Amino acid sequence: MRIYGRAPGIRATVALVAAIGMTAVAGCSSKSATPATSAPSAPSSSNAAAVSTSQCGTKPGVKATGTPIALGGIDTNQPGTSFTDIGNMANAYFACVNDNGGINGHPIKYYLATEQTQPAQVAADAKQLVQTDHVVGIIGNTSIIECSINHSYWESLGFFIIDSGIAPECYSTPNSAAVNMGPRYSSDGAVQYALAQHASKIVFDQSNVPGTGYIAAGPAALAANAHVPIVQLTENVPITDANSVAIKEVNDAGPNGAVVLNFTPPQALVILQAAQKLGLENRVKLWGCSTPCDTDFLSQALGPKWNNKLFVNAEMTPATTANTPTINLYKAILSQYGKSVSGGVGSFSEFGFAEAEIVVHALESVQGPYTVASVNAAIKAVQGYNTGMLCQVWSYGSYPMHIPNNEDYTVTPNNGKMVVAQGCTQISSVDPQIAAYRKVAGVAQSAP
Amino acid sequence: MPSWAYFQPFVVSGLALGGVYALSGVGLVVLYRATGVVYLAFGAVGAMGALIAWSLIKDTGVPGWVGWLVCVLFAGAVTLAYGMVFGPALAKRDPLIKAVATLGLTLVLFGVMDLLWTSGGGQSRAIALPTDNGGFVVGQLQVNWTQVIGLGAGIAITVVTGAFLRYTKLGTAMRAMANDRDITATLGVPVRRVEAAAWLGCGVLGGVAGLLLADLVALDATTLTFLVISSLAAALIARLRSIALTFVAAIAIGLIHDLLTPIQALSNYRDMTPFVLAAVALLVLSRRSVISLSREEA
Repeated sequence: MRIYGRAPGIRATVALVAAIGMTAVAGCSSKSATPATSAPSAPSSSNAAAVSTSQCGTKPGVKATGTPIALGGIDTNQPGTSFTDIGNMANAYFACVNDNGGINGHPIKYYLATEQTQPAQVAADAKQLVQTDHVVGIIGNTSIIECSINHSYWESLGFFIIDSGIAPECYSTPNSAAVNMGPRYSSDGAVQYALAQHASKIVFDQSNVPGTGYIAAGPAALAANAHVPIVQLTENVPITDANSVAIKEVNDAGPNGAVVLNFTPPQALVILQAAQKLGLENRVKLWGCSTPCDTDFLSQALGPKWNNKLFVNAEMTPATTANTPTINLYKAILSQYGKSVSGGVGSFSEFGFAEAEIVVHALESVQGPYTVASVNAAIKAVQGYNTGMLCQVWSYGSYPMHIPNNEDYTVTPNNGKMVVAQGCTQISSVDPQIAAYRKVAGVAQSAP
Repeated sequence: MPSWAYFQPFVVSGLALGGVYALSGVGLVVLYRATGVVYLAFGAVGAMGALIAWSLIKDTGVPGWVGWLVCVLFAGAVTLAYGMVFGPALAKRDPLIKAVATLGLTLVLFGVMDLLWTSGGGQSRAIALPTDNGGFVVGQLQVNWTQVIGLGAGIAITVVTGAFLRYTKLGTAMRAMANDRDITATLGVPVRRVEAAAWLGCGVLGGVAGLLLADLVALDATTLTFLVISSLAAALIARLRSIALTFVAAIAIGLIHDLLTPIQALSNYRDMTPFVLAAVALLVLSRRSVISLSREEA
């Protein structure tokens, strides 16, 4: 059927294509950095109700009214990749501390800047936090490129960052220490588990973002050491053709192989659901995933077909099933102060909690005024701190590199919840970066 | 290079995706021919309809079919309202201005979706249709009924729209308006009513496509909003004129896109498929173009 009449001129058509391109860019436009605000209510949690959030501070029920201590953080927030739950959870913890005595009477004011993987924007965020917001400490950074862009800046100013690392420099530079293992070591953990289950081949698929080569080096080393072939894949995100991605992964892995994913939860879910719809979930020996998949909503969205089929590396104590004082406090704070933590209970918010916990511990040790020098000296001095969230105690210290979290769990979906499939297990020193860190810092003690 | 057997599953997934692109592309072409508007908000209305359906089903517990119906009705209503409010004012403007005006609606809807259904943190959503559970096996691949519906809807809409435009009074009126809006009005055709029908039909197709793509691809505002690019590329290859060619182009985009997936060297460039095909088609057409202009433009 042909309809005669107005036909667009070539120039008009090309202009239309350009307009569409501009629309796509507009969809990725930047958002301004603003002071983070806490909220009064949020997702409910069964364990949370029994725990008082007043435990988070030294003076229960007494609001801090002194001069604020300004802290800042930078998180990626763009279509397909958002890490703002980490900064928002840290801010929820600070709101709780502020309501319960603060730091010696001083409330913490937290500035959370967001970025869209643009180097100039990431650098500008750091300068804004320092020069405009006058922050004295940086915590909660979770960004695809922030460590790469800003680590020299932080080093020049004497900031010691506590972050959730992604980029290589988050782990390989002296002024950055993460509470998480990051995509490389978490992927190591997932591949390590697959190899322990005797997978005959590994297909490792991850987001096509900066740093994929660095991340892939860990799983490649582990697979090579086990003499198991590994196929490395990358996907553009957001994924628009999950069916073909799932087919490719399964075809490459074969019936005794394992597919290991390193994506944010929404993207991983898209692939896993596509695999399920196509009946592919049982066409490989097992599926693995790095830490971001460790969320209950992913387990709920996938359903029981993935019970004991998907194994997720969990860098933090599994929050759904654990019943420890720290985990219960985390849930209570999330419930009372974490309305802006959209993912609820999960690894991302646990990262934010642990980072805030450590920095509050450090701030409480500061004698005298809260300056860049005093606060960062206190952060650097943290040694053997039990966060209650990690397999090991956490230390900063004067090392040329920092991978303080290098032992973790493996969890699997079980009827809507993530349950432990394997307890605390050290990431193999076959990864040369892990070996290098243990050489300078030793092996941390297990958490009590 | 992988064997043909290796490629077969990608043909199935590519056909399903291409079918939905065709569904969207045909809607875009029909609306363009009737109103002169390239409706860039097509993906956004479908995305928002699908998110509303998801919220209704998840939060209020309404039956699935109610949510799906609301999705289609929402997309139809928003598109119709836009067409009725802004259509007359933009009727005599340049096609580019009309298209850019729909960007405004796209960005408004996109902003609302970002506000109401934030994509922050680990948040993720999914919509599942009952047709996901049944199906048949091709080779070693489970083909579910949603994929069949995706392709079938693309074919059905193309055929039905073709017959509608050729054999019905309303279709004839739309074709007449495509030739010359003013003369058609002079002949007593209720132009506003015909345009309204085109806007509504396009919106309904947007809702159906949004629902199918939410299931087949992802329930994500960004993904669904910008998937219109693939459909629009198909429509551009057909010069926004032939619905049959739009269908073929959409299927080709879906197929080529998915068939590139297993080719390691090209895999990461497969998202360029609609752009490359549209650019090549425009270059070829511009070399041997005999462009028929309306009397207004001549």
